[in-house]
Amino acid sequence: MTWYSWLAIASLAICLAGCIYHLIRLIKLGKPKDYSRKSGSPGSGIIYSFTGAMNPVNKESAYLNLPTYIAGVIYHMGTFLAIILFFVFFFTTTLNKMITLPLVLFLFLSAIFGTGILFKRVTDKKLKQLSNPDDYISNMLVTGFQAATGIVLLIPDASYPVYMVIASLLLLYLPVGKLKHAIYFFAARYHIGYFYGWRNVWPAAKHSR
Amino acid sequence: MPTIEIEEKVFEIDGNGFLTKPEIWDGEVARLIAKYDGINELTDQHWAVINIIRNNYEEKGMAPMIRQICKGTGLKLRQIYELFPLGPARGACRVAGLPKPDGCV
Amino acid sequence: MEKTDDIKIKRGLDVLNSHKDSKLISHLNSCVHCGLCAKTCLYYLTTKDERFIPARKVELVSSIYRRYFTFTGRTFPGLVKARELDDKTVEEMVDLLYGACVMCGRCVQHCSIGVDIEYVVRKGREMLAEMGYVPGSLQSTVKAALETGNNMGISYEDFVDTVEWMEEELQDECNDTEARIPLNEHGKNVLYTLNPREPKFFPLSISAMAKVFYAAKESWTLSTNMYDVTNYAYFSSHPGEAKKIAQRMYDEMHKMKAKRLVLGECGHGVRSNRWEASNYIEKEFPFEAITSVELMAEYIRDGRIKPDKERIKDTVTLHDPCNLTRGSGVIKEQRYILKNCVNDLVEMTPHGTDNFCCGGGGGQLAMSEYNDRRLKIAELKIGQIRKTGAVIVATPCHNCIDQLIQINVTYNLNVQIKTLAEIVADSLPV
Repeated sequence: MTWYSWLAIASLAICLAGCIYHLIRLIKLGKPKDYSRKSGSPGSGIIYSFTGAMNPVNKESAYLNLPTYIAGVIYHMGTFLAIILFFVFFFTTTLNKMITLPLVLFLFLSAIFGTGILFKRVTDKKLKQLSNPDDYISNMLVTGFQAATGIVLLIPDASYPVYMVIASLLLLYLPVGKLKHAIYFFAARYHIGYFYGWRNVWPAAKHSR
Repeated sequence: MPTIEIEEKVFEIDGNGFLTKPEIWDGEVARLIAKYDGINELTDQHWAVINIIRNNYEEKGMAPMIRQICKGTGLKLRQIYELFPLGPARGACRVAGLPKPDGCV
Repeated sequence: MEKTDDIKIKRGLDVLNSHKDSKLISHLNSCVHCGLCAKTCLYYLTTKDERFIPARKVELVSSIYRRYFTFTGRTFPGLVKARELDDKTVEEMVDLLYGACVMCGRCVQHCSIGVDIEYVVRKGREMLAEMGYVPGSLQSTVKAALETGNNMGISYEDFVDTVEWMEEELQDECNDTEARIPLNEHGKNVLYTLNPREPKFFPLSISAMAKVFYAAKESWTLSTNMYDVTNYAYFSSHPGEAKKIAQRMYDEMHKMKAKRLVLGECGHGVRSNRWEASNYIEKEFPFEAITSVELMAEYIRDGRIKPDKERIKDTVTLHDPCNLTRGSGVIKEQRYILKNCVNDLVEMTPHGTDNFCCGGGGGQLAMSEYNDRRLKIAELKIGQIRKTGAVIVATPCHNCIDQLIQINVTYNLNVQIKTLAEIVADSLPV
């Protein structure tokens, strides 16, 4: 095996260990004990939290900021696609031409949106004040990873070592920077779903809007 | 310390516009604060309310119950709300130079 | 501001380091700084001041958490802008967490991640309260409640005198000398609670609710010992003081041997007694605690009272208290009541779980320090009310009512402001 394969595998192991640490800590601390008499269903609240509450029609932060919202959604889809391809590449880097081109196009588009989000972060006064180096690094790593994935699909032999280094950096950074929201996003949504479900605020469809 | 200026007179107030030094209060101060709230003229009925509030404050260190204001002035509740549109606390007590009462007022 | 010292800092940090469950770390670790919450917040919408963006308030608390309790923040504080808990940080926390948040929870519903921003703000306030930095005017309201049993320091004699006075009003209104406002009667179905501003300054809502009880033939009582539905320590977020006030209500229910604790029209009073109280004292209530809004809706549904909506012909709009909708899931009941009691109900846009705070929430009304901001953020509510063309604004929260009374004058709105009990009482044929 090549040095960069070893590097990527080691990084993946460290990343998984970091993620498992966060996950175990969350599970160990456990779900909240609420002594109040519940009036709704925490279960339905949690389901709604991941479904209806994420619907842009219900989410003001989405429908008032549609361009950013769409860019964000595509950017995240690009990330998931790149992660899947990361595992595929362990077996082969040459895919059927019919699917290579749309994949490359999507990854590049997603990387462009990622760059756009980064650009907004630097130029928008309120976002700039809110941001820290971690935000910039995280964005650049993910955007770079997406673009590199696209390039590997086009010219595998020339780009694969560089790609593996970028992927390794991303994996090593994930558990310590803001990218750990990959785990905490689910935890936070679980908790607000539980909270609003318990109090019969969610699912919101029950109430007239 | 915030201040308020009415007709070229400056008073020290808390953020809610209540006097921070209730001892500087006099009839003229009452007239000025009332004017600031849009009450252009203090009638005898206004004064009846103000005097009861002021006396209670000087005796007991707090605003009286609305019950005492009604009893003492012979005014109906509704009349007091009409005399001071901001209500007995933010309206009448403020004009009477009291510090802001605690709670949801 | 008093300087921080090691003891204070330890007290503050302990709040971030004591975990009953995974809720706190979930919310402190998940904000991605997308900034999309800005437009959900009435402080940002009315002032366009970037400091007021909800994420900035979360960031204040979570940057301290990172500095002391995460690997990255301890090792490379600059990388994640981790902050020391020092004088400057404390000053900013007081200004933003106490002075620029109505704890309405609107941003939480719309957060792209699902951060419970309001909860994080409350945790930040809890740190400040443990360190002794609660704004003076808010703390004096808490102190009055702890020392006198009600947050306005009303004496027993004054309270009884006022209740007797309202009983006379009730007897006149009902034309029945048997109509009563019972005091300290044991074993009743309902123990009713009030906001102290009712006996002190606005007692008509007491006789209004008494008229509703009279019409429904309810077995009820008030307690002279504990009638205060508020818990201002919920706003100051001092857990020890909040627990003392919550415990007092719990004990009173046992003493009075009442079946149902009925919470008067007070948003945070409902929230703190219905939900937070059991958690403050870590005990489940063996009795039912419901809002007077739910109770009145129940009376109408069961045919125990028969409102005549022709008696209120003016256009009415409803202001939703945040702590009733997003805080307690009481959303349909107030609408059901109004649809049965008034001829013409016009909803504000938005309303229900999307409503805007009146501007007086989160303890703002009690805090003189931030008065100008409170009046400024009310612009949104003023615009919403104007658009409805309503003559009467009904709202089941005395805190909202007081803010509405003030902005009604400040912004020349010229509407009447009423509690739901007043509306229901007006709609009941005598």
